[in-house]
Amino acid sequence: MLLIAFLILFPLIIAALLLLLRGDGIRNVVVWVSAVAIAVASIMFAVQYLGSPWKGFEFSSVAADYIACAIGVAISGVVLGFGVKYKNSLAIVLAIIQLVGDLIFEFGFAHNVHVEVGLYVDSLSIVMALIIGIIGSGICVYALGYMIDFQKHLDEHGEGMTELQRKDRRPTFFALMFLFLSAMFVIVLSNNMTWMFTGWEITTVCSFLLIAYTRTDEAINNAFRQIIMNMLGGIAFLAAMFFSVIYAQTLSFQDFVLFGLNFPWLVAVPVCLLAFAGLTKAAQMPFHTWLLGAMVAPTPTSALLHSSTMVKAGVFLLIKLAPLFAVCVIPAQMVILVGGLTFMLCSFMAISQTNAKRVLAYSTIANLGLITACAGVATPEAIWAAVLLVVFHAAAKSLLFLCVGTAEHHIGSRDIEDMDLLFERMPWLARLMMLGIMCMFIAPFGMLIAKWATLVSFVDSRQMALVLLLAFGSAATFMFWGKWLGKLSGIAGSPENVELTVHPSEWASIGLMAIIALVACIALPLMSTLFVEPYIAGIFGQLGGDIAIDNLWISSILAAFVFVILFAGNHGSKAKRADVYLAGVSVDSDDRIYRNSLSGESKATSRNLYLESIFGEGIVRRPGEVLCTIIIVVAIIASGVVPPVL
Amino acid sequence: MSFITTLIGTIAFAILAPIVGCLLAGLDRIISARMQGRVGPPILQPYYDVRKLIAKDNVTVSGVDGVYMSAALVFTAFAGGIFFSGGNLLMSAFIITMAGLFFIMAAYSSRSPYAELGAGRETVQVMSYEPMVLLMAVCFYMAAGTFNVSSVFGLSAPVILYTIPAFIGFLFILTIKLRKSPFDLSTSHHAHQELVRGTTTEMSGKTLAKVEVMHWCETVLFLGWTGMFFIWGGPLSLILGIVVALAAWFFEIWIDNNFARVKWQAMLRSAWTVALVCGGINIIVLMLV
Repeated sequence: MLLIAFLILFPLIIAALLLLLRGDGIRNVVVWVSAVAIAVASIMFAVQYLGSPWKGFEFSSVAADYIACAIGVAISGVVLGFGVKYKNSLAIVLAIIQLVGDLIFEFGFAHNVHVEVGLYVDSLSIVMALIIGIIGSGICVYALGYMIDFQKHLDEHGEGMTELQRKDRRPTFFALMFLFLSAMFVIVLSNNMTWMFTGWEITTVCSFLLIAYTRTDEAINNAFRQIIMNMLGGIAFLAAMFFSVIYAQTLSFQDFVLFGLNFPWLVAVPVCLLAFAGLTKAAQMPFHTWLLGAMVAPTPTSALLHSSTMVKAGVFLLIKLAPLFAVCVIPAQMVILVGGLTFMLCSFMAISQTNAKRVLAYSTIANLGLITACAGVATPEAIWAAVLLVVFHAAAKSLLFLCVGTAEHHIGSRDIEDMDLLFERMPWLARLMMLGIMCMFIAPFGMLIAKWATLVSFVDSRQMALVLLLAFGSAATFMFWGKWLGKLSGIAGSPENVELTVHPSEWASIGLMAIIALVACIALPLMSTLFVEPYIAGIFGQLGGDIAIDNLWISSILAAFVFVILFAGNHGSKAKRADVYLAGVSVDSDDRIYRNSLSGESKATSRNLYLESIFGEGIVRRPGEVLCTIIIVVAIIASGVVPPVL
Repeated sequence: MSFITTLIGTIAFAILAPIVGCLLAGLDRIISARMQGRVGPPILQPYYDVRKLIAKDNVTVSGVDGVYMSAALVFTAFAGGIFFSGGNLLMSAFIITMAGLFFIMAAYSSRSPYAELGAGRETVQVMSYEPMVLLMAVCFYMAAGTFNVSSVFGLSAPVILYTIPAFIGFLFILTIKLRKSPFDLSTSHHAHQELVRGTTTEMSGKTLAKVEVMHWCETVLFLGWTGMFFIWGGPLSLILGIVVALAAWFFEIWIDNNFARVKWQAMLRSAWTVALVCGGINIIVLMLV
């Protein structure tokens, strides 16, 4: 209980403190110390409640309810303010709807509904707390060095920018990062839906402000796209709470789920609405564009949004709803189809991207799609897979984003095609990036093992469409990761290491992410027993017939073997070096220049295949958006119409 | 202990598969030669070639291709070991993909234009056959009730009775997996090769020898997958499995010698269409039954 309070309140205090600090030196100290404190606290929290079943804490406070309401009003106010300033009428309308809804809910409607058990802990919230506490705060540390370079770049190259765009907004930036962590802890530890909703809305507005960080036109546009999509989800969440009070007279999430299990036809609409909120936050089609737009923000923001916060809140809610998906067919089908389609189509679109951050964004959306579909399938195996996917994705994706961020500052490009020659002098970064990529898509790493469990659960639950979507989507996954990996593979051989300008804080957190990714892969069997299985047992009362433990150990050993090859392999071999064959006499072998048939000099270049004509955004995106929109609209209407008829 | 079984199987596969694969490769060359009206080399020619490659000087462009190819070999051995010790079919398929990935990385690492182009095409090849491999495994799972290969010996009827469409689809992509014409886009054993030598352009000596040995092992593994469909207990069905696998192999050689290479677009479209139709139909039928 004390630890929960610490996890929620401590980042909040640090956020306020960071808002006031202007100097780099003092900020470094505060961020380092508090990041370590949060990480340690989340580990202590995990140890204390390891393997415990669902455990509620009786905690209710009228003051906290009012604070939650006040925060809701403040959030609407912030959006309203920005909406007026940048003349975005849609944002203004949504903010007003939310404001009115919030006030009616708090004062006219749910005033007498009290939730005794305000906070809780179970194995899923432990896993989430570890992800937020360790990976989230690791990213905050990384941001220290990154933002120094970022600001320097703005100061040196910001001639064309306005005063507003060049302003050093770093205190706000770090305050928002820590506020984000606090809000995430609220979401994963609250049983009171009002508080959960407050955390939900804080993450929405935090990412809005982080995306708008640079105040360029692009940043502002993308920030508004994000806020509009996520406020739609927020309003759906609010509406679901109205329904919960009307039907179940409760705002306790646990009681809501229990009520739903007894009266599935009554909760079809609120479950649909909550699932809709989850889909928007998890950036599923047609809402995936907000996550793509979020790339304009500084890279630590992307890392935070993609790995440990924001989108993970979306899938967290969906996984929590899984018991209800098992009894409510319509919302379950909506989630399954949207998730499956998103997985396949976004994997397709990732093939056609040359921008590294965009590839990462598409892969995030695709993986979230897979988690979403698993939540919808809602068998013990599927939930086992979903939780593991959340863990591995968080570790590998944060590692990749941090690597790309550092690379970008040193080679001045995010283009994958630029990652061969310019990258030559950063072999360690290249190897870490390779590790991250391998963790994302290939056996024997955890992500693929989870995908395998996903496949089994899809087959067992006779989800024929999902099996096909998974088969084709996975193939696309191989293509876009494989060619990126190939671009990096040549670098590991270069002996020199000129990476001196990378900040120590960046190395520290990149190293941390790499270790987490590796430990998670190698300790997969243990992690399954300690963290995931207690949750499955708690929810379903039984364990799924998941992958035999022997197979987990085989993959664990093979993962360790790959690690040895990547980091300890005989890279500087004594073999005689030869020039590349260029069908002509080499003039400069390193630059691939040769003497051509006219005795002139030609440069041999090659580009990876991006298969634009088949998998281009222009071809894939529109049908996917239309299809998913239809599915969502039909499902929400059907959930309101069909159950009463039956 | 299935873990120990897997390890023993892996070691056994690592010793036996190269021998069998080498003989098959020698036969392949003789059969191909006869189809083209030539006499062909002795059956042990592939072995002589590899022995000579191993004796060559150690020369490399990138310095890492040898390491990556060793990893590819190890993973191939594991994939074979898992399969032939009766382990998990899906695991075997995933691990052999890992081996393929290391081969691709070895090709990319030279940063040679020809090898890069070949490696790029190799990734398209993997993407082309991967859906059908997965769907084949799913169909096997639905027919046999488990992914464990050893379970076929306890069946009352061979898996093929329920998986004819998936088996046809698998035969189609087998051509890609064995890098046979018309799908030998990334590198080819034949002389008509516009990419110099594609993926293996910059590989020589021991590294190239590893590629050859890996190819032998892969052939044995994939033929094992083919035979698996026809086995249902008893040593007699084992013979049937081997006969069918060899027939499929002969069929692939015939295709190799009779079809001109296609572009990657045609390969991707046809392989995915086959996967969607054959795999899709088979899964629907199995789900309804």
